[in-house]
Amino acid sequence: MRIHRGRIAQHKHDELLRAYLKQNLHELIQQKELVVDGKVKTQLTTLDLPTLRYGDEEAYLAQGSGGAGRSFGAGEEGVQPVGGLLGGDHHGPEVRVELDFDEFVRLAQEVLLEELELPALQRMPRGGEVETEDLPELDDLDRMGLAADLNLEETLLSSLLRNVRERGVLDYEVDVRQDGWYFVEDPSSVRNHRSLEVYVLDISGSMRGDYLALVRKTIFLLWYALERRYPTNLRRYVVFQDVAEEKSREEFFSVESSGGTHISAGFEKAMEMLQGVSEYDTYLFLFTDGETSSGDFELAKRKYEEALDRFDLVCYGHVNPGSRGVGGFSEYVQEVARRRPNATFANLVDMASVREALRDLLARVDGGGKVRCGSTRRSSRGWRN
Amino acid sequence: MREYEAVIARVEELARQLGLRWDPVVFRMSEVEEIAEVASMGLPNRFVHWYWGGAYKEIRLQQDKSLLSILELVLNARPAYAFLRRSNTYLQNVLVIAHVYGHADFFANNHWFRKSNKNMLNEAERHARVFRAYEASYGRATVDSLLDSCLTVATTVNAFERDPARRRKRLVYFLEEHAPLEPYEREVLQAVREEAEYFDLIQRTHITNEGWATFVETALLRELLSAREWAQVCVHLCARPTPYTLGYALFGAIRRQRGFEGALAARRYYEDVRLIDETLTQELVDRLDLFVYDPRDRSRNTQVDAVKEMLIEQKLYRGEPRVEVEDPDHPRDLVLVHVEEGRKLDPRRIALYLKAVHALWKHPVRLRANGKLYTYDRRGLSTA
Repeated sequence: MRIHRGRIAQHKHDELLRAYLKQNLHELIQQKELVVDGKVKTQLTTLDLPTLRYGDEEAYLAQGSGGAGRSFGAGEEGVQPVGGLLGGDHHGPEVRVELDFDEFVRLAQEVLLEELELPALQRMPRGGEVETEDLPELDDLDRMGLAADLNLEETLLSSLLRNVRERGVLDYEVDVRQDGWYFVEDPSSVRNHRSLEVYVLDISGSMRGDYLALVRKTIFLLWYALERRYPTNLRRYVVFQDVAEEKSREEFFSVESSGGTHISAGFEKAMEMLQGVSEYDTYLFLFTDGETSSGDFELAKRKYEEALDRFDLVCYGHVNPGSRGVGGFSEYVQEVARRRPNATFANLVDMASVREALRDLLARVDGGGKVRCGSTRRSSRGWRN
Repeated sequence: MREYEAVIARVEELARQLGLRWDPVVFRMSEVEEIAEVASMGLPNRFVHWYWGGAYKEIRLQQDKSLLSILELVLNARPAYAFLRRSNTYLQNVLVIAHVYGHADFFANNHWFRKSNKNMLNEAERHARVFRAYEASYGRATVDSLLDSCLTVATTVNAFERDPARRRKRLVYFLEEHAPLEPYEREVLQAVREEAEYFDLIQRTHITNEGWATFVETALLRELLSAREWAQVCVHLCARPTPYTLGYALFGAIRRQRGFEGALAARRYYEDVRLIDETLTQELVDRLDLFVYDPRDRSRNTQVDAVKEMLIEQKLYRGEPRVEVEDPDHPRDLVLVHVEEGRKLDPRRIALYLKAVHALWKHPVRLRANGKLYTYDRRGLSTA
């Protein structure tokens, strides 16, 4: 048996690297452009022994690009740093650590769960048996199935075709093993316990630094909780300042903070996301510091009311890392949330308040979820009234 | 391996005709993973440390890109061990076999290599076993952090230095002699230092060694291959990294001046500094398109003297700052001095570096650099 020393070394290396990244997570997560080309770029270099180095940029030996010098790092065009002069044991120059976005999210979630002392959740199995009282809808065909589910029409047709092909006779001589078609359950319908989650993020000028860090951490935790319970949920991402735009998951984490705050635009765009997905449970998560631009207040109120009617649950996160009083539009939402059962309000001050908000939210989602998990039908009205 | 027996016999015959002599070579067909492992750790069965892990990852990624990937590995031991890659084509492996005989000849004849430890494969394995035993008795974390410190200071070895007074100016030798180490700590430091010396020799002869191997390889292949096969392998020969092409060009220049006998003599007595100093000419620098590039004002210096100086400095000090141990006034003193006062050291690394030294020295450590005096003691780093 061979000991895979290389892999053991790599494992050790990666563990140290993860520990190092975890320590620096709070700074990392604040980068405005968190995801570039699907990667999270960090300022950290790969782990190195702490040998001494020169501080300033120095002249180095290079070769024109016509030669076959090995290139690493950013060099000017036509200038290839000559590497590997020492060969053997000597390592090359520093390389910046890059992580896949998914890997980064996993890492962040690990840190956050630990920090908040939340329990780790089991992943919901995607396959396996689903317990349900409904009769299965046999709306797909397969070559294999139960005898009782034989589809006579398709079976006879394929028998006819086979006889023409093989014997040149226009005749029905059914051989079930060769011609049988059966009604089966459409595999996609079994996994159809889907909800729609719309994430709406305020990217006006004030959302930066600690604000951004807090929002991102909250979203990562939400993902964690919801993904484990409902792995097939549909997710949509909207950012808004003066105007709202839909973004891809990765672009959602690479937006420049600028402009004013038109919360109404955010709600409006979120409701557009509902088109064509009305059969699902629908959740709206909106994060803002609540300082809506003057003149937008009344419109935002109306849009909020409208969103409450159209979404099954509207969660409003008031991002408030400075722990100031709740004012402006947030104050209004806080008021409404006391009256309306499908509105929630969370004052996100620090990670402790995020934990409270999450616990509160998951209790509500799971309350509805219990019924829904057992059937393919829409059942969210359970907690609506 | 059997399909290569005939070609190996033919290569050996041709090599003997050229005047090469070597210790036995053991070929071994291996998977890419094994090659990446040995390439990143330096030796098979060496102790496992996180530091190799990063290199291993990098090499595994590179192996997908065919031209830059590692085709072969040779270890300086008696017998010499050569790893061939199973996924190579037949022709690639023929190339590699010819190259390996160049290395084997260099290992057996070069003045510096003849004196090297030919038993390092076994030594490294023994070290690994000793470290494992220490992990059991002193705890894994203790041994791991001890290894971090030892590997950090081990970069100050010099395989060529024989004068004890000059050696003592180098941190790792000074610590080995004077640091108040536990017996097991001393043994670990000594083992790491021995391995570092083995690699230091390889680094200080890298251009000569690879240049000679490539030189021999082309000489052998010219006899061995048909014109068509030759055309096929040319791509591989041209895509070699700079040290190979540079060394190859230098040996070519020597042969033009002094014939093949002259090249044979050069492989016996030269190491990189002498090879570069004596044979690099302006014409070669221009042909290889080498220059010193300054990113601050984007200037290129193509003068042979500048290129030579830069190469030799790389070879003498590996591009690392020159830090020497000052003669102590007191047995508990350890004062390090950065020799080139004009150049600045990266301040972020100083605290970590001194921490590693302090872990071995166990008394306050001082470093004079950047116009300051840094002190690291039990309370951490302070500056004066």
